[in-house]
Amino acid sequence: MTQKMLEVHNLVKRYNGFTAVDALSFEVYEGEIFGLLGPNGAGKTTAIRTIMDIFRPDEGTVQVLGQPPGTARERIGYLPEERGLYRDLKVLEVLVYLAELKGTPRSVARPRALTWLERVELADWADHKVKDLSQGMQQKLQFVASLVHDPELLILDEPFQGLDPINVELGKGLIRELQGEGKTVVLSTHQMNLVEALCERILLINHGRAVLYGPLDEIKRRHAPHTVRLRTPAPLDALAGVARVEQRDDTFTLTLEGITPQELLRTLVERNIPVEAFEVATVPLEEIFIAVVKGRSDA
Amino acid sequence: MRKMWIIARHEYLVNVRRAGFIIMTALVPLLGVVGLLIAAFFGGQASAFFERQFAPEPKEIGVVDHLGVFTPILPAYQDRYHLFADEEAGRAAVESDELTTLLVIPEDYVESGQVMIFSKGSGFTAAVMEDSASVRRFFLDHLLRDEVDAALRKRLADPIKPVLVSLEAEGQPQGGPLSTGLNIMVPYFLGILLIMTIFTSSGYLLRSVAQEKTSRVIEILLSSVTAQELLAGKVLGLGALGLTQVVIWLVSAFGLSRGAVNLLGVALPLLTRSEVFILGLVYYLLGFLVYAVLMGAVGALGTTMQESQQLAGIFSLMATIPLMLSGFMFSNPNMPLLRVLSWFPLTAPTVMMLRLPMTEVPVVDVVGSIVVLLITIPAVLWAGAKVFRMGLLMYGKRPSLAQVVRALREA
Repeated sequence: MTQKMLEVHNLVKRYNGFTAVDALSFEVYEGEIFGLLGPNGAGKTTAIRTIMDIFRPDEGTVQVLGQPPGTARERIGYLPEERGLYRDLKVLEVLVYLAELKGTPRSVARPRALTWLERVELADWADHKVKDLSQGMQQKLQFVASLVHDPELLILDEPFQGLDPINVELGKGLIRELQGEGKTVVLSTHQMNLVEALCERILLINHGRAVLYGPLDEIKRRHAPHTVRLRTPAPLDALAGVARVEQRDDTFTLTLEGITPQELLRTLVERNIPVEAFEVATVPLEEIFIAVVKGRSDA
Repeated sequence: MRKMWIIARHEYLVNVRRAGFIIMTALVPLLGVVGLLIAAFFGGQASAFFERQFAPEPKEIGVVDHLGVFTPILPAYQDRYHLFADEEAGRAAVESDELTTLLVIPEDYVESGQVMIFSKGSGFTAAVMEDSASVRRFFLDHLLRDEVDAALRKRLADPIKPVLVSLEAEGQPQGGPLSTGLNIMVPYFLGILLIMTIFTSSGYLLRSVAQEKTSRVIEILLSSVTAQELLAGKVLGLGALGLTQVVIWLVSAFGLSRGAVNLLGVALPLLTRSEVFILGLVYYLLGFLVYAVLMGAVGALGTTMQESQQLAGIFSLMATIPLMLSGFMFSNPNMPLLRVLSWFPLTAPTVMMLRLPMTEVPVVDVVGSIVVLLITIPAVLWAGAKVFRMGLLMYGKRPSLAQVVRALREA
């Protein structure tokens, strides 16, 4: 297995008797994009703040880059959900100062900040004050601020909040590029389409507890309602193990009961039914999210 | 450690550019120059003014002598002091403004020392009478006229005439009430300036913390540095800022002082007591540390700039107590109340800065207040950093007192 960048074991964090994070365990591996999901108030931000050594855990252990929280600050990039920048300072000044606080020498920080501003199309704004930037530009600037010190592990809490679709695409592209450069990204968000587009593995937490954890495709398969989409010019007779058939033009949606899609396909081949398209239907992550979160809170 | 210096440099550079800082720093020397020019222009009048200010004495005084020692009044005092047979007649004279003050000497005066003073003025009159050299001489001359010769009586009334021989070539205080006035006013004014500097720079700290909190930069910062590093860096940077201001003022004060020698023939008594000067700086640093850390913690507690400032007001009020007591400071810088305040960490730096130039402060007060401050500062730093860390991340609502106490208990 590749190296563990982040290891959280049995983490518990309480405030005034309220348990925000409850016996949470997960791992993040080198080079992956890891999705941290959950409804509002699920405990995502608390978990992240503990990882960042802003909060201390009440129980359990956290290892960041193989060390306790707070020891490897300079190798981590963090974009908090509650974020802002010095409004009265110039864009470049802010980036250089924040990079310096992460241990990057001034002489290195300056050219690197300029390169990044170029990459997010803010190069012309380097000498403007932060408050002169639009909301979207400030969001991009914050994104840059979290990685200008060239961290190995990036923790992004709702990175695309307040960005228009064009800039969301830009951000997605940047995250993929960062992964390509070998960086590990932890992405905490509500936006399921982004998670589906970017993440390999996810952790869904609700009420501070892990509800779903593992590779995204596996989770989706596990939660697929046993449905198969089939296109065929031939008429379909009753098939064993198929509970319901819906037809639209030449596409049939079959609900399976007691058999796997594989077994159905074998039956079709044996019966010599021409198959033009065969697809195991998946559900959008959003539906899994809603189902799991509601199911748990109803229980 | 390195990060603390980065923060310190950042805070210094950001704040040294502030218009408020530049104006404040430039304004004081400018006012000095203006003051100097005015003083040079109205030199004579200023002298008379100081004379009046520092020696306001009652003109015509009535005496009702139940003891018998003051009857008759010695010839030297007859044009100012007038005997009255009884209290009613004397009080009528005060009412009709023939007299400014009436002294009633009771029969047991020698035992009790009590003298009734009737005046249209306030309690201030009594204080002036008590301190007045001429009134003292009047009493001594009459009490001792049969027993002691005139020369000794005169010496008893005024036992010490200090002749200051300054060992520095320049800066010899020259005579005259203007010089006396300046001898008190200039160091006092300098003390007030230092106090103001403490407040402006710790005010910057409050503002800096509150801004980082309201603009939400704080979480990014705390993911890079510890709360202690952040607080220490800010205290260091803004302390250096305050010192810059003080140094600029001092350099210009020396310039002004030379100007004063040339224009007025009067030396500004800046360095006549160098130990006062050095101690002043020590108290400045200690006072700044105490207030800066307090302001840092308070800044972290408020949810908005306004709220933080309101909270800080409580501490500022305490620190201004010495300024409210200026009257006592002039009359008796070693009075018990001021000595007690010198031992209380929140008022010690400011009280001592004002007391030092006024008088010879007892050594025990100097050592005591410094020790108290040296003990207080680490305690405030420790508690301040805790509250700072907790307060920083509480957006939207101010932590309750119970939460602050809990944060202090938790390791």
